[in-house]
Amino acid sequence: MDSGGITVAALMQQVLVGLSRTTILFIVSSGLSLVLGVLRIPNVAHGSLYMIGAFVTYSVASFFGQTTAGFIIALAVAPLVVAAVSLVLERGLLCHLYDREHLMLLLFTFAFTLVFGDLVKMIWGSDYRSLSAPAIVQGSFDLGGFPFPRYSLFLLVMGPLVALGLWLLTNKTKIGKIARAAAVDREMVDAIGIDVSKVFAAVFVIGCYLAGLGGALVAPTQNITQGMDHTIIIEAFLIVIIGGLGNIWGALLGAAIFGLTDAIGILIWPQFAIVFPYTAVVIVLLIRPRGLLKAIW
Amino acid sequence: MQRLSVCLFLALSLLIVPFTTAPAAAKTITVGIVDCYSGPPSTYTNDVRDAFKMEIDRINAAGGVLGRKIEFVTRDSKFKVDIGLAAAKELIYRKNVDIMMGTINSALALAISDMCRKEKVPFLVTFAKSAKITGAKGHDYVFSITENTALAGKAGAVGLAKKPYLKYWIAGDDYEYGHAIADAVWNNLKKLKPGVTLLGQSWWKVGEPDFTPYITAILSARPDAVIVATGGRDCVPFLKAAKATGFTKRVPFYMHTATELSTLKPLGLNAPEGVIGTSNYFFYYPRTPENEAFVKRFEAAYKRKPAVGAIYGLLAARFISRAYQKAGKVKPKAFIKAMEGMTVDSPVGKVTMRACDHQAMLPMFMGTTKKAPGYDFLIADDIVTIAGKDVMPDCAEIARQRKK
Repeated sequence: MDSGGITVAALMQQVLVGLSRTTILFIVSSGLSLVLGVLRIPNVAHGSLYMIGAFVTYSVASFFGQTTAGFIIALAVAPLVVAAVSLVLERGLLCHLYDREHLMLLLFTFAFTLVFGDLVKMIWGSDYRSLSAPAIVQGSFDLGGFPFPRYSLFLLVMGPLVALGLWLLTNKTKIGKIARAAAVDREMVDAIGIDVSKVFAAVFVIGCYLAGLGGALVAPTQNITQGMDHTIIIEAFLIVIIGGLGNIWGALLGAAIFGLTDAIGILIWPQFAIVFPYTAVVIVLLIRPRGLLKAIW
Repeated sequence: MQRLSVCLFLALSLLIVPFTTAPAAAKTITVGIVDCYSGPPSTYTNDVRDAFKMEIDRINAAGGVLGRKIEFVTRDSKFKVDIGLAAAKELIYRKNVDIMMGTINSALALAISDMCRKEKVPFLVTFAKSAKITGAKGHDYVFSITENTALAGKAGAVGLAKKPYLKYWIAGDDYEYGHAIADAVWNNLKKLKPGVTLLGQSWWKVGEPDFTPYITAILSARPDAVIVATGGRDCVPFLKAAKATGFTKRVPFYMHTATELSTLKPLGLNAPEGVIGTSNYFFYYPRTPENEAFVKRFEAAYKRKPAVGAIYGLLAARFISRAYQKAGKVKPKAFIKAMEGMTVDSPVGKVTMRACDHQAMLPMFMGTTKKAPGYDFLIADDIVTIAGKDVMPDCAEIARQRKK
């Protein structure tokens, strides 16, 4: 197949496009990984919260007439709405189930993918929605002779900001330190008089907030529709597994591998691009079955 | 005594049941519709059902057909073949429908078609795009009143052959519809314009969340034009990514359903201009009194503009009522005979049901997306009408496909 030769500029551009996709994947899978690492809950409903985040973003942004200000407000509000939903879920139901085995928790959160799916259908209907990116990040600019979407650049800025925020949270705050300790030895943390239950609630809400943020950021780039929860949750779990279960930086590494193999695969072998990220997952698991970085489990 | 009365009651009810139900059923013509009414496909199928109902109401108000009222029952297939097939069974065996109609899902349409062939119930396909329905897998009992991948592909090729492009790239959904339409466009284009070359192809999964890396990769290969074989709901995010990357400003592309209202409306004024697309119907074209009257009636009834599905619903109602009228009785064989070669009026002009393959000869409109005053979404401009007969495979070709 002759594609006229792949230039360095084209490859560079493809890497950047891949990294902007990495941003969304990282934000969503880091939340999943956080909950998995600290609470030991394989939260299958994480994808549903991502979907709710996208739908709320659509509604809030549309309420303000899909203006730039409206989008910024939506970006702030939607993850908070998702966080509020997750707080109710955690305090009302999940917090009573922490002692159950993983299979039970898996089934429980799976049940919620169905509940949330129907809830979205009841509130927003079954039609898909489409949201435009705010005017300042619409269109593209020229990058070495190729167009580069402004929104992708915006995502490239958001990614490191979220990563920095997560690093500060886990390493510089008390709650982060307790969460890390609880992830290693829950009983010990309990024994020294810290109310682990509250810490767990906070970590769960933060993890779900990230799902909502991912949904909000992805909203202007794709259809906001039923089923977007399934696509993301599969990718997010793969990323978490190759990165090392429960390791946030593993999620970053996994997301980068997934996003970059996808984008570069599309450039060099477009007919079979679909298989590239999955092949990468298989190779990683063959070499390091427990993930690239240290798994907390 | 009690036992006797029970026996009498049972005997009487056995006698009564056939007498009470049979005459009631004879007074109507029942149409069974199986289609996907939940999830994204409902954007397309609701228009079929609504336009069908609107026309049926008119026919019934004018006295019905052969002194009978036309009734219809709908079942939601949820886009699943097993659910849809079970619903079709229920309609055929329990509701004893006279005729079946539906669906947007090609796999389901082919499955129901097969069942209708065995049960000898006529089946009108209203949205599924597989060319096999009236092509290789066609038979006496199945009719299609929608375009299919072969017709759309030919129409696309006829339009593209007139443009100066030589180096092409093909990109699309990695499933039946995507490959079928891409093959149809490309094979026809090669015949019409032997100088064209294919630089490469990209195939993505259905529901691909982000098209940006695909578009940037295609642009780096610098083709003259791109054939985009994506369908249904994926059209919207694709056009969005096309706009974000400035795709149309650099390379023109053809996408079959790009100009349809269902695709362009959700994007508002943020859809890219200059995309070439084909469709069976626009509410603003052709500008004939028939079309204007139809749009007015549809809007009055449903408070929205009719999309392409509406023309299929309207045609279904007209074909069904006229064919029974012409047949003079409600019998499958007589209905089929009446349908073959029948012509009905419609907002897009006269439409004939071709006798050899039971495919409605619908015109195809090729246009380019453009902003227009008075609309808060893009419409098709520079519309060229391609007649149904110009894009349909000839009857000998159909016979050859069916023999295989």
